[in-house]
Amino acid sequence: MGLASKILGLAFAASGFLILWWGMGVAGLFSYVWSFIGMFVMAMGFALLTSGRQQKEEKPPPPTVTEIRCNSCDFKEIRDFQKGDFILKTVETTCPKCQSAMTIEGVYIVREEPDEKDKI
Amino acid sequence: MLILMQLGEPNEFSWIINLAFFAFIMIFSLYGAKFQMWQWLKQIETGLHELKRMFIESRQTAIDAFKEFGKSEEEVAKDLDRWMDYFTIMPVDLDPAGILKRLDHLLDERRDRFQEFVAELAPESGESMVQNLENTLEVTQVLGLIFRVVRHFYLLGKKTGSQIMIMQIQMQMPDLLRLAKAYFDALSAFADGKPIGDGIGPLIITKFAREYGGTAENYNHEISREVGYYKVDAEGRTVYALRATGPGGTVGKPGLAVKKLVDKFGDKVTRIITIDAALKLEGEELGRVSEGTGAAIGDLGPEKHAMEQTATERGIGIEAIVIKEDEAAAVGVMDKRILDSVPEVIERIKASILKRTKPGDSVILAGIGNTIGIGL
Repeated sequence: MGLASKILGLAFAASGFLILWWGMGVAGLFSYVWSFIGMFVMAMGFALLTSGRQQKEEKPPPPTVTEIRCNSCDFKEIRDFQKGDFILKTVETTCPKCQSAMTIEGVYIVREEPDEKDKI
Repeated sequence: MLILMQLGEPNEFSWIINLAFFAFIMIFSLYGAKFQMWQWLKQIETGLHELKRMFIESRQTAIDAFKEFGKSEEEVAKDLDRWMDYFTIMPVDLDPAGILKRLDHLLDERRDRFQEFVAELAPESGESMVQNLENTLEVTQVLGLIFRVVRHFYLLGKKTGSQIMIMQIQMQMPDLLRLAKAYFDALSAFADGKPIGDGIGPLIITKFAREYGGTAENYNHEISREVGYYKVDAEGRTVYALRATGPGGTVGKPGLAVKKLVDKFGDKVTRIITIDAALKLEGEELGRVSEGTGAAIGDLGPEKHAMEQTATERGIGIEAIVIKEDEAAAVGVMDKRILDSVPEVIERIKASILKRTKPGDSVILAGIGNTIGIGL
């Protein structure tokens, strides 16, 4: 539902309003028919105008990652969280660079920054 | 042009339109409030469905977590449902003397009952896992409670037609949903034993202690219930860095631990520094570090009282360093921005020790928070 549907919706709503207004002035029972047609066209226009509004889709939570660092050198590895991981746990694998022991230095998620418009 | 001339022109049937217009005004001035109530009730109903969904899903997550440790799904579900209604009656406050002691006793008793229940329901789980399951159970209980309370007011409002009751619950709904969602999203963290934002205090304690030679081996266990401490020498001062024992999910009794440490090491203690997560205001940065005076601990009262009382009786300076978080970040898996605040907090601790204590003094450094997923 792009801009075209919005313009079309606006045109329908405006025409519906005009038909309703004019229909109210028509003599006889046709006044009801025109009023009804006017309302119907207006409703179609409003439906087109609002149909694009979708509910905000919920994003899945960001994945939890485990950051492992070598105790001696600057080697760092980030992998998906595995059950049993906890911060400051010494992992079984050794550093591929210097063969020293490695420790889990962080288990975390990276959330999105808040919108710019919220930054005042 | 002819059409335009006809616009709005009266005719023999225009009285119907006039009548409809007046009827509309009359109906809305007499029954407008009823329409609004109906609209509010619909909004509450939508929220209530969401709360129910969260509760049911969290209950299932709890069942899945428990059934891994020795009991069948049916047994777990039955016992869990029985436990969902567990309550604690707050002590009488008409006679406030000694109320904190009574509250402390009740909280201990409640904790015992929780641990007993979890041990029975998950007989094959270890100590850390028991604590994590206990947290999982508590989150499910909170979600159940929110759902039941909102449903109560919704049905009561509907039954009595009380506008004020319905209006209040409708207005609080967004906040309640936000709170429930924060807990709901946090459930997997508790069930899987992932560290949460609230655990930043204990994590800083261990990182600080490790800088000065503290290890899991020289950590002194059980100065108070589920709380221990590292004794390290930092900048010429003796620092007793205390925290709840992880990596199971517990907050322990850090207030009592501070009191016991002061009783034990007496006059040499010249400063108490508390580290905790604090609720941030909307617009503030997540993980922002702030400092102030007083005991940073968000318990029901006994722990904070123990710290304040000890500091006041002995004339010890007490200060707080807090890491700002929102509710979702505090109970959810630890955010990177919270973790990144660790070096800054450690620097502030060092600055405080250097500025406000003398070499040879003793300092108590207390990290407050849930230790789930944070090792020693």
